[in-house]
Amino acid sequence: MKTRRIVLDALFTAVALTLFLVELQIPNPVPVAGIKLGLANLVTVVAMVLLSPLDALAILAVRILLGSLFSGNMMALLYSAAGGALCYVVMLLLRGVVTARQIWALSAVGGIAHNVGQMAAAIAVTRTPALIVYLPVLLIGGTVAGLFTGLAAQFLIARLRPLLPRFLPTQTTNRGEKKNHEESETS
Amino acid sequence: MKTRSWILIFAVLLAVCSVLTAILFARRPSGTVANIYRDGVCVYSVDLSAVEEPFEFTLTDERGSNTVRVERGRIRVTDADCPDRVCVSAGWVGENGSAPVVCLPHRLVIRVEKSAKADGGIDAVAR
Repeated sequence: MKTRRIVLDALFTAVALTLFLVELQIPNPVPVAGIKLGLANLVTVVAMVLLSPLDALAILAVRILLGSLFSGNMMALLYSAAGGALCYVVMLLLRGVVTARQIWALSAVGGIAHNVGQMAAAIAVTRTPALIVYLPVLLIGGTVAGLFTGLAAQFLIARLRPLLPRFLPTQTTNRGEKKNHEESETS
Repeated sequence: MKTRSWILIFAVLLAVCSVLTAILFARRPSGTVANIYRDGVCVYSVDLSAVEEPFEFTLTDERGSNTVRVERGRIRVTDADCPDRVCVSAGWVGENGSAPVVCLPHRLVIRVEKSAKADGGIDAVAR
C-alpha cells in the first residue's frame, strides 16, 4: 500500500506543479506583487481533506521547492515557504471544524494565512515594517482567490471521494472524520 | 460552524480591508514622474502631475551642465553645454510614452515613468 500512496502523492505533486507553472504564464491582472490566484493551493486543500495532513505536507513541500527551482525565482522560495507553512498550519487546525460543504471557507482562511506569512517573510527579509500597508490589499486578494480555489477544490473533492477506494483500496480512512465531512449543513 | 457565520466573517474582513486600502492608498500620486538618471543612478525625481508653476534647474557635474525645464505633465532639456546638444533637440517628453531624453556626453537620462525612483521607496524589493 505504501507504493500506491507514494504514487498518488507524486501524482498530486505533479498536478500542483503543473498548475503552479501554468499560472505563472498568465499575466497578472493586479499590479501588486504577491497577489495571484494560487491555483496550486487547490491541490493542497484536496490532499488535506481527501488524503491526510502528512500527504498534504509532503506535496506542499515538494511543490514549493521544485516550483521555485523551475521558475528560477529563488527569492520567491522564501516567501512561498513562509506563506505555505502558515497556510498549512491554519488549514490543519481548521480541518476538523469545516464540513464538506464549507471547504471554500477552509481554503479562504488558508489564502489569508498565506498572505500573512508572505508579508511576515517580506518584512523580515527587507527589514521594512512599512510594507505592512500592503497587507489589506493582499488580504482582499488572498480571500477572493482562496474562495475561488476553495470552491473548485470542494467540487473536485465531491467528485474524487467516490473514486478514492480504487486508488487506495485498503486505506482505512478515519470513519468518524469521514462522517463529519459528509454531514449535511442545514442552515 | 454554520455556513452563514463563515460568510459573515469573510464579508466583514473584506469590508474592513477595502476601507483600509482606500484610506492607505487614497492620496498616492498616481501620475507621471520624471526620473533623472546620471550614470544609471536616479539622482532626481519630480512628479509631473503635481507641478503647479513651471520651473527650471541646472544639473552640473565635472562633465558639464544641463538645464532642465519642468512644466505640468512634461519635461525637457532647454540648454546644455555638450557639443551635439541632442538632448535639447529631443524636445518635450510627457506621459504619452515618449522616448527618454538622453545626453550621452554627460551620461544623463531623463525618463518619464510611473513612480519615483530617487528615494528607493517601498517598491524596491517588492519582488
